[in-house]
Amino acid sequence: MKTADILVIGGGPAGLCATLNAAEMGAKVLLVERDDALGGQLVKQTHMFFGSEKQYASTRGIDIGKLLIEKIGTFENVEVMKETTVIGIYEDGVVTLEERHGGYLKVKPESIIVTTGASEKFLGFPNNDLPGIYGAGAVQTLMNVYGVKPGNNVLMVGAGNIGLIVSYQLTQAGVNVAGIVEAAPKIGGYLVHASKVRRMGIPIYTSHTVKQAHGSDRLTGVTMIQLDEKWQQVPGTEKEIEVDVLCISVGLSPLSELLHQAGCEIKYVASLSGFVPVRDENMMTTQEGIFVAGDVGGIEEASSAMVEGYLAGLSAAEWLGYSSDTLTERKTDLKEQLRSLRSGPEGARIRQGIEQITRQAPGNASRKGQAMAAVPGK
Amino acid sequence: MLEKTGVATPEEIEKVFPSEERLKKGPVVIVECFREIPCNPCYTACNQNAIKEFIDINDLPNVDHDNCNGCGLCISKCPGLAIRVLDMTWSDEEAMVRIPYEFLPLPVAGDIVDGLDREGNKLVDVRVEKVQNSKMMDKTPVLWLAVKKAFAKEVVFMKPQPRKDTRADETIVCRCSDVTLGDIRQMVEDGYTTVDEIKRLTRAGMGPCQGKTCGQIILREISMMTGKSMEELTLGTYRPPIKSVKLGEIAKTAERGEES
Repeated sequence: MKTADILVIGGGPAGLCATLNAAEMGAKVLLVERDDALGGQLVKQTHMFFGSEKQYASTRGIDIGKLLIEKIGTFENVEVMKETTVIGIYEDGVVTLEERHGGYLKVKPESIIVTTGASEKFLGFPNNDLPGIYGAGAVQTLMNVYGVKPGNNVLMVGAGNIGLIVSYQLTQAGVNVAGIVEAAPKIGGYLVHASKVRRMGIPIYTSHTVKQAHGSDRLTGVTMIQLDEKWQQVPGTEKEIEVDVLCISVGLSPLSELLHQAGCEIKYVASLSGFVPVRDENMMTTQEGIFVAGDVGGIEEASSAMVEGYLAGLSAAEWLGYSSDTLTERKTDLKEQLRSLRSGPEGARIRQGIEQITRQAPGNASRKGQAMAAVPGK
Repeated sequence: MLEKTGVATPEEIEKVFPSEERLKKGPVVIVECFREIPCNPCYTACNQNAIKEFIDINDLPNVDHDNCNGCGLCISKCPGLAIRVLDMTWSDEEAMVRIPYEFLPLPVAGDIVDGLDREGNKLVDVRVEKVQNSKMMDKTPVLWLAVKKAFAKEVVFMKPQPRKDTRADETIVCRCSDVTLGDIRQMVEDGYTTVDEIKRLTRAGMGPCQGKTCGQIILREISMMTGKSMEELTLGTYRPPIKSVKLGEIAKTAERGEES
């Protein structure tokens, strides 16, 4: 059976940063990534990131990914397995992996950092299975990873940051965006992103939703409709739009099923967009030795995912008994970065969510000979 | 209302706009950032102490227009593309508006383009005076737009006008294989942006002249449409023979036993 000090599950922004810091502390890290490339969603992010210099603000996500991946390559104590999916965590602490091109193996890590990220939410409306209806992630993959236009005329659903950014990127790719439909009465994403697409002439229809999609072999049009204050469709306000692509960007939900399996305490927290693990301020879940970072612990921006990753990497290594002179200082700095990223009005929702799932009594910072706890969920 | 429409109201704009007095003194920054988000690269970019240090990273940019010298370093550093520089003193009739622009093809100096307002409506024809695209700008080029003064405060973006090209699409680019300029442009628009790809799909460059006529023209079209400089492009792969050769001649050589 394969062994490792720390198994990091998922090579997105959180997983990369967790790997880097754990490896720097001296831990032997196994990083497992389902895709054929590391970077997670960073590989599609052609826009500049927000935040401060510490979180690579003003650098494009795609370049941040390259930077982190390059650094990982400098560590001999990191093993990367790509095209490999973690499919289970068992009560004896054994983790099973499936390799894409054949192969099934077991790993017994001393500690785990789960950075599996999130999946996209979808909408239920008539004909939502027509070809031409995509999630925003798929549209970004087609355009920004493979250089393929998803279509010629797009209606975007969702005016959160992803909906706004992908609308902008579609326009950069020469695709017409007919409009952005948003069920809420207000734009959810950053207003600078909204202003950016508005001055290109893209309308944003707040308090509107998709009533129905049309087409037989593929999407040919969409009926949108207005919503009242109680989110009910207002008959007579239907509007037909001819489009060949409907792009759904209505939020993400944390991919926490492995944490369920490991027996971690999970709570539904609406402001973090779904079922998320209870953890302490060092990112350790209620199961000793199992840590989380990034969207799996609640949907946020990639900047906080990276900081959480750095923190979880340090904490996991510390738990295993590794140490460094600057450990306390660095952990304090990372916690301060998280506090500051979440301190504004945009972070109010996140703060309130994090409060609900941060456990008061922290786990042991160091395991003192104790093994990682993984028991089936109750 | 900004939160509903994504378009700032006149009251909101007035709050962040430089005073008339300051505008009379030369180029100055305008930061249209109205909502606290965790972001401070504008402060990091400014070396004139015109955008003040953030006490909290979520603060709105605190701009001292009197300290700003209009250098524009912050324009391409703002992840929200919310910064522009306005110079009302550019000339008697025109003001200069510098905006970030992340679209291809990039315009070139002298182009007349549509000046757009915050809702994307065309206000006026404007002239591209200069295109800055240095490595430091990291793919967020800055356009200098000469705008009639009456519209200068409202023009925040631009859209290219349909290209009035005197050359017809039927113009022959590759004489050997009858490939037109229209064919080449369609290829580049479809994402084929190397000479090799276009060669394989259109046969341009595979005829008797082996690309001597069309190669340069195709390269220039790719360069103009993708915004890549000629230095970044290549003419593609060269393979023998460099001109057409009669099979018979090669066969004769073989018959004489000189093939090796």
